[in-house]
Amino acid sequence: MTVTATPPVPRASSIADRIAAVPRPRPRLSTIVSYATIGLIGVLGFASFLGLDYSLKSIETTGTNLARFIGMATPMQWPGWDVTAVVGEGGTKIFTTTWVGPEPILHMVEIILITLALVVTGTAIAAVLSIPVAYGAARNTSPHPLVLALCRGLGVVARAVPEPAIAVFLAFLWFGAGILPAIVAVGLHSVGMISKMFADAIEQTDEGPRTAIRSAGGTKPQQFWSGIFPQVLPAWVAVVLHRADINLRGTVILGYVGVMGIGAELNGALHAGPAGMRRVIPIVIIIILLCVVFEIVSSSLRAKLLGVRPTGRGVGDTVVRTALRAKDALVPVAATSAERVEAATRRPWDRARVGSAVWVWVSVAIVIASFLYLQPDVARLVSDWRFDQVHNAELGRSVWPLTFGSRDWETVLAAVLVTVQVAFAATLMGAVLSLVVGPMSARNVAPSSGVRNFFRGVALFIRAIPDLVVAILFIIATGFGPQAAALALGIGGVGLLAKLIGDSMEEVPNGPERALAAAGGTRLQVFFASTVPMSMPSSVGHLMYLLEQNIRSATVLGIVGGGGIGFLLLNALNGRNFDQVAAFVVVIIGMVVVVETAGILIRRALR
Amino acid sequence: MTYSDTPAVRITDLGKTYPGTKSPALSGVSLDVHRGQIVVLLGLSGSGKSTLLRHINGLETPTTGRVETLGQVVAQQRGSELRALRGHIGFIFQQFEIVGPLTVLENVLTGALSSLRGPRVGIWTYPKELRRKALEHLDRVGILERAYQRADTLSGGQQQRVAIARALMQDPEILLADEPVASLDPESSSQVMALIREIAAERSLTVVCSLHQVDLALGWGDRIIGLRAGEVVLDTPTDGLSKDQVMEIYGRVATTTGELAAIEQELADVRDALLSEELRKESEQRSDADRSDGERR
Repeated sequence: MTVTATPPVPRASSIADRIAAVPRPRPRLSTIVSYATIGLIGVLGFASFLGLDYSLKSIETTGTNLARFIGMATPMQWPGWDVTAVVGEGGTKIFTTTWVGPEPILHMVEIILITLALVVTGTAIAAVLSIPVAYGAARNTSPHPLVLALCRGLGVVARAVPEPAIAVFLAFLWFGAGILPAIVAVGLHSVGMISKMFADAIEQTDEGPRTAIRSAGGTKPQQFWSGIFPQVLPAWVAVVLHRADINLRGTVILGYVGVMGIGAELNGALHAGPAGMRRVIPIVIIIILLCVVFEIVSSSLRAKLLGVRPTGRGVGDTVVRTALRAKDALVPVAATSAERVEAATRRPWDRARVGSAVWVWVSVAIVIASFLYLQPDVARLVSDWRFDQVHNAELGRSVWPLTFGSRDWETVLAAVLVTVQVAFAATLMGAVLSLVVGPMSARNVAPSSGVRNFFRGVALFIRAIPDLVVAILFIIATGFGPQAAALALGIGGVGLLAKLIGDSMEEVPNGPERALAAAGGTRLQVFFASTVPMSMPSSVGHLMYLLEQNIRSATVLGIVGGGGIGFLLLNALNGRNFDQVAAFVVVIIGMVVVVETAGILIRRALR
Repeated sequence: MTYSDTPAVRITDLGKTYPGTKSPALSGVSLDVHRGQIVVLLGLSGSGKSTLLRHINGLETPTTGRVETLGQVVAQQRGSELRALRGHIGFIFQQFEIVGPLTVLENVLTGALSSLRGPRVGIWTYPKELRRKALEHLDRVGILERAYQRADTLSGGQQQRVAIARALMQDPEILLADEPVASLDPESSSQVMALIREIAAERSLTVVCSLHQVDLALGWGDRIIGLRAGEVVLDTPTDGLSKDQVMEIYGRVATTTGELAAIEQELADVRDALLSEELRKESEQRSDADRSDGERR
């Protein structure tokens, strides 16, 4: 700390002069950055909002389209039933619903199983691959700065390249390899997020145990697996399960490029005329239910694997407990050291061990079962690459040189602008709504616990609904791409941002709040004088996180009709123009890199 | 590895200056530690005790001078040679540095990693003989019944016992201990110190242990080395040393007024103890005199 010599304040005649002479230090960098970020997102968000044209006319058209969609999509045709329309007198249609047997239901179950197996296998591959990438990308384990840069770059690229692009490219490279390209696409794309969060966890570990193993003569791999990995295992499990949730939602998009599963089912229904439209809403409901159930399962699995054990009085617990008691009584009190050691060589099957063993093996079994169920043609990973399918002048396909095809730079930039607009408008919408829901769900801000629980519930409910799926439904129903995408992402963002803001506000030290309340401040005064400024840096960090996520989501939503760069990518994919696919992917990577770099710089300034 | 003629540790004119700092952490340190000797490094925090210890097994590299451990120049060792050397040196840390989420047994087993090839995950990836050996060590340090508990569910004293068992797993020739009881309550402290001493005697280990409590050091080591600001200011066998002698030396070890204030209380306690001892003797003499007076009457 440098002590700068402050000139003695000259004795001024009046208090006003003395006040005027008080030195005013320049505002801290974090304060400037906070407000600048909020201001910038506000301005850009508002501009994007205007740019997306939510005019009255477009709202009116939306209403018409929505009514038409509902007219076409009802009555719903659930699997197992058949809806037939007969044109009756006066042109009115009469619908009859008939039971056609269980085959369609079994077919749907099979589709769901394929989807789940794809998610599990893809995520499992990513979970394994992300360990070496994270090892190289964490500052404290990386062997060399070059490896660090390489692994981090790999993570950014993997996060930025949309799954469908990888899947389609691999599908042609490994022509006829079935589901394998989709599994690998899910796996490679997921490495991006898992390795980043895993590397962050590695950087936050306690160095002590590792030093202890180093000083006992352990090699670097031994230091990692014995000293660091056990510390980050909980984080790894949590991230992997969270990623599985995200990947399930992603399979809907994958269906648009022909990957088997529930997404393909939805896409098929959309393109199968009136009879197909009647299947759309049931399929969307099934997808949403699937996502919710999967999330419940994955979060309870997370709790089990991480050792948060239920204290329940369930049948299983009671049985295990009784068995243990019986066993405990049998163990004799050993007298000599050799006897004691002998007795201890077998690890007792106590409840903790039974519990974790069961869940670990159940998880392993699920992964193996998924592989067996899908039976990917693994040999194609290394053999028989059909370069002629991706690079063939006769078929009009090539991967090199990169080109935008018939589009010029301006068109591409306009598409990028639309995607960015969607992301910013969605972020602004999410932020504005979260400004209400977030504080109201913080214990120290909400006027009563009832209010807090209500708003917590709202955020939880929004989080539970897969926003990608909702966005797709919006886009299909309204016929409006970017506007619907922004709206869906904006509302979906509330679930995440409101929770994070609420948590940050609850984490604020409550001393200053109490002091202000004791001085007679009203609730609102306390909120603005203490809670807001203290939770500002972390809230801005969360806002940037939402923006980063929205950029990626907006890109992907383009594929299903949200417009922007994603739409160009889909066209290129459909035309098998891999040179264009690669060019658009490069543009997308550039976009994501810019936003993520901004995020990193802003977070560094906030610290 | 037995070169009984060479000292276990030979330090010659060791100096260490951390990059970005002006004053050296160690300067001109020269000392030999003979096999089987139990040495206490005494000094206040920042006096260079930890730095010295960490040079002995190569966790730090010297700026000047050299360190020979078990007959080998530590700074010249690389890769597997250095790991093999470290495998012969147990290290006990102030903060235990055991892996919290692992079981106690697996923590102990990690001490054997230098004798194994490749990483290990889980108890069952270690050979059976090592598991048995680890359990024996746990029995020796008195926490066998906790073998399958998560290590972070143990108390501080128990965690340090796990760390001792882990060091034993290396079959060490030298045991280095960096303030092994500074994070423990007095009760556990004396138990852990006694345990280290017993184990050292059983296995005739060479021990270098840093401490800041004079009374612990006095009854415990064969030899005391006092450090002040990175220099050796005291090197003496403990035989025949009394506490106030050491306290007096410890006063010299302290350098700043803050440090002096910190030991002022301890010095005052010693003076009080001496004073009351004198008073007691005086009163005894007086009462003796009274008694004899009475008898005379």
